Amino acid sequence: MKKLFDLRFVIGLFFAVVGLLLIIYHFAVSTKQLDHHSINFYSGIIYLLFGLVMIIVSYKNKLSDS
Amino acid sequence: MQLVFIDYAVIAVYFLFVVTIGYVLKKKIKTGNDFLMSNKSIPLWITSLAFISANLGAQEVLGMAANGAKYGLYTVHFYWLGAALAMIFLGVFMMPFYYGSKARSVPEYLALRYDEKTRGFNAFSFAAMTIFSSGVSLYALAMLMNVILGWNFDFSIWMAAGIVLVYTYLGGLTSAVYNEVLQFFLIVLGIAPLVYLGLDKAGGIEGILHNVDNAKLHMWKGMASAETNPMGVDAFSLVFGLGFVLAFGYWCTDFLVVQRAMISKNLNAAQRTPIIASIPKILMPAIVILPGIIILALQKTSVGFNLPVNANGETDYNMVLPTLLTNLYPNGILGVGITALIASFMSGMAGNVTAFNTVFTFDIYQAYIKKEATEKHYLMVGKATTVVGIILSIATAYVAKGYNSIMDLLQLVFGFVNAPLFATFLLGMFWKRTTANGAFFGLLSGTVGAALAHGLTTAEGKGGWIMNLHTYYSGTSHAFNIAWIAFVICFIVTVLVSLFTKPKPENSLVGLVYSLTPKQNDKAKVWYKNPLVLGVIVLITTLILNIIFY
Repeated sequence: MKKLFDLRFVIGLFFAVVGLLLIIYHFAVSTKQLDHHSINFYSGIIYLLFGLVMIIVSYKNKLSDS
Repeated sequence: MQLVFIDYAVIAVYFLFVVTIGYVLKKKIKTGNDFLMSNKSIPLWITSLAFISANLGAQEVLGMAANGAKYGLYTVHFYWLGAALAMIFLGVFMMPFYYGSKARSVPEYLALRYDEKTRGFNAFSFAAMTIFSSGVSLYALAMLMNVILGWNFDFSIWMAAGIVLVYTYLGGLTSAVYNEVLQFFLIVLGIAPLVYLGLDKAGGIEGILHNVDNAKLHMWKGMASAETNPMGVDAFSLVFGLGFVLAFGYWCTDFLVVQRAMISKNLNAAQRTPIIASIPKILMPAIVILPGIIILALQKTSVGFNLPVNANGETDYNMVLPTLLTNLYPNGILGVGITALIASFMSGMAGNVTAFNTVFTFDIYQAYIKKEATEKHYLMVGKATTVVGIILSIATAYVAKGYNSIMDLLQLVFGFVNAPLFATFLLGMFWKRTTANGAFFGLLSGTVGAALAHGLTTAEGKGGWIMNLHTYYSGTSHAFNIAWIAFVICFIVTVLVSLFTKPKPENSLVGLVYSLTPKQNDKAKVWYKNPLVLGVIVLITTLILNIIFY
């Protein structure tokens, strides 16, 4: 619960969840008839990575903040 | 455009996070100060991102893409000329007085520097303007969702207002600020793939250069005369009207943005807030203006990118971003794009509501209604004001739906009030002789002057309701010119009245006026903690960008 006070953690979690949703959707539903079907996959990967980096940073900086 | 389950899932995740942020922060809120000022404890990176994010409302996001299509690269002036310089000036020169004076709001600074009537003038006009902007934001959200997704107008209004109410009521300013930062990342990461896809489809930079009118791919080239650039402005009104008067007036005196810096942990962080914010700010055109230029190329090379026509028969440039979103994004990422738009509308609204409740509680309620009360009492007033602010916003949204012309008129009136404001601050902070009566009557004449300038000149069939002495080439040029005229009138009247009235004693102006405030010693600090050094770096970068894209 305390972690939720840290905005980095909240933003990281949000993008990790959205990234995962997009990646799962890419594999679960065929959107290949569209021009840019892989954009969900690549954006999902980027969101997930960004989210994970924010979460890691929130843990790393915990000591310096306190 | 049809949303499917995955898009709704992304929107739902966003709403869940937003409400959770409010709920979690509720535990931290114990006093009116926590609720309205975040207890001055917000870290620098958050204040900086919130600072630009407070301005990155949907009107900005949709409006700048629209301007990108209308004026091309000239729109970048709103960033590289209009914002960067003003943000640095705020950080280096003005923040020491806002933060150092212990004022809790911009109107309160005016009360300390001048008197109650100047504060009242600013507090009331600012409070009215925030409600107006918040209501217009809500209206625009509901209209857009209705047009592109077919959502019911009333549903969108009540849903968005309800969510904003929940998180601002629970978590106050901190909650609004946290959501602004989340929204910042959503806009950047949600629109960046769109820019990529659009550029790709348009044939990359080559495709843009080939298919977009060359006049729209420069910043300064056609600036010699109003007729030779798509914005229809001349260099003087651009530099003095936009770059100086409008930009400094907005970034340095509008409490909505200044508040984000005032809740920093210390003066140094408060000073660095707008300067650090200016770094992402000068990069923002890639996200908010570029789509407008991309669509121009796509209109030539592909079908489906023509903009719809509004009720008056004019091209609806505000539809640039929604048109790109619905044409280029498949379901999934489309949900992210729509969420980014909803987020910018809601956080634009939340920003206005939190600025409104601070100004109402401290500058109207505490100043004129109940001076001495407990912290708990002001917390209650702040919370009640939040609810009232949201109800008034909803009412405004419905008025906007029924009577568009009233909204245009109000917008015009607020423009008149804002135009001269920077002169009052500039003189107040840097000329100790400026008197309270000078400031008040200067402000009043500046506002009247702006109205007269509008009444005596026309552009694109607007203005000139007294008589027409001059016709400007474009509406934009009209607005820039009115701004500098109002500024000059306010400046002159303030100086003249000040010379004939009695100034405040010098000892009461310490910490409020430049020449009477002890200078800080910045020598011990490393360069990246020195606001001046940072400011100069940003200035040089901006200058280089101006040269590259001249």
